[in-house]
Amino acid sequence: MSDELKQFEKLLESHPLRPVPAEWRKEILAAAEKAQPAHGRQPIPVRSLPGLLRSLFWPHPVAWGGLAAIWIFIFAAHLSMRDEMPVMAEKVLPPSPQVVMELKQQQHLYAELIGVNDSSDTDRPKPFIPKPRSERANIVSV
Amino acid sequence: MPRRTEIERLYDEHAPSLFAFLLNFTRDENDTRDLLQELFVKIAREPAILDNIENERAFLIRLAHNRAIDLIRRRDTRERTRENFAAEQVSLFAPAGDPDVKLFREELAQALGELPEDQRAVVHLKLWEGMTFDMIAGALEISPNTAASRYRYGLDKLRERLRPLYTEITNAES
Repeated sequence: MSDELKQFEKLLESHPLRPVPAEWRKEILAAAEKAQPAHGRQPIPVRSLPGLLRSLFWPHPVAWGGLAAIWIFIFAAHLSMRDEMPVMAEKVLPPSPQVVMELKQQQHLYAELIGVNDSSDTDRPKPFIPKPRSERANIVSV
Repeated sequence: MPRRTEIERLYDEHAPSLFAFLLNFTRDENDTRDLLQELFVKIAREPAILDNIENERAFLIRLAHNRAIDLIRRRDTRERTRENFAAEQVSLFAPAGDPDVKLFREELAQALGELPEDQRAVVHLKLWEGMTFDMIAGALEISPNTAASRYRYGLDKLRERLRPLYTEITNAES
């Protein structure tokens, strides 16, 4: 900063600002004191429960009644839906044949893995039973 | 003598500075009074806002500045321009007996009114509050570099605007 600017700064600083008007102090502090939370305020009186309910519901009894009716309706609808839920569970369809097959395959695989041959009769290979010669000849000719 | 309350202490310590800052910023004595009262009412309602505050003056100036900005925005909506504020004669400085000093103070008050608000605020805090750019930055919620550049621009404008009077004074002194 140049010397001239510094000199100019000093000149400006040397001019004192106007003081705050003296009469404002009393007025502003009075307003501030009034605004203080714990000063000059009456505590809120404790009301009885019926009185409190009356003051809450009295101004618009029809509106509150309507609101209560709506809530009762919603509650009843909720209850009726909950009763129907087990019925819906019972109506679940049996598993499809594909699912049954899949389960059986998994069961078989599991049995092979643990080394237990507990496959059902349907899966077990049929023992070889020799058929009569006449029948065998038919098979060859076909 | 009754013991001073906390709010009285705050008023006595900070109201003169807040008054001068708000008067320079708003250029209106009624608005300044309203803002000053709002500020002290707020402190009275919420004394906890000053808890853990290191620099009370800077904090109060920040509150005052924010409120003054809100007020000026509201005033702008009432279609009052900055030119109107500048044209208003506001007695910002202490009265002077010497007519030359009186004239200089009037011209200086006028010149300050012609500065943009953001420059005026920085110039005021630097020159008449003796704040550093870091303190000004904290009070006005700007960066120290911004505060420094606003000060430089503002001071240059004031010097140009007051050059004839300023030259006369320096010549008379030498």
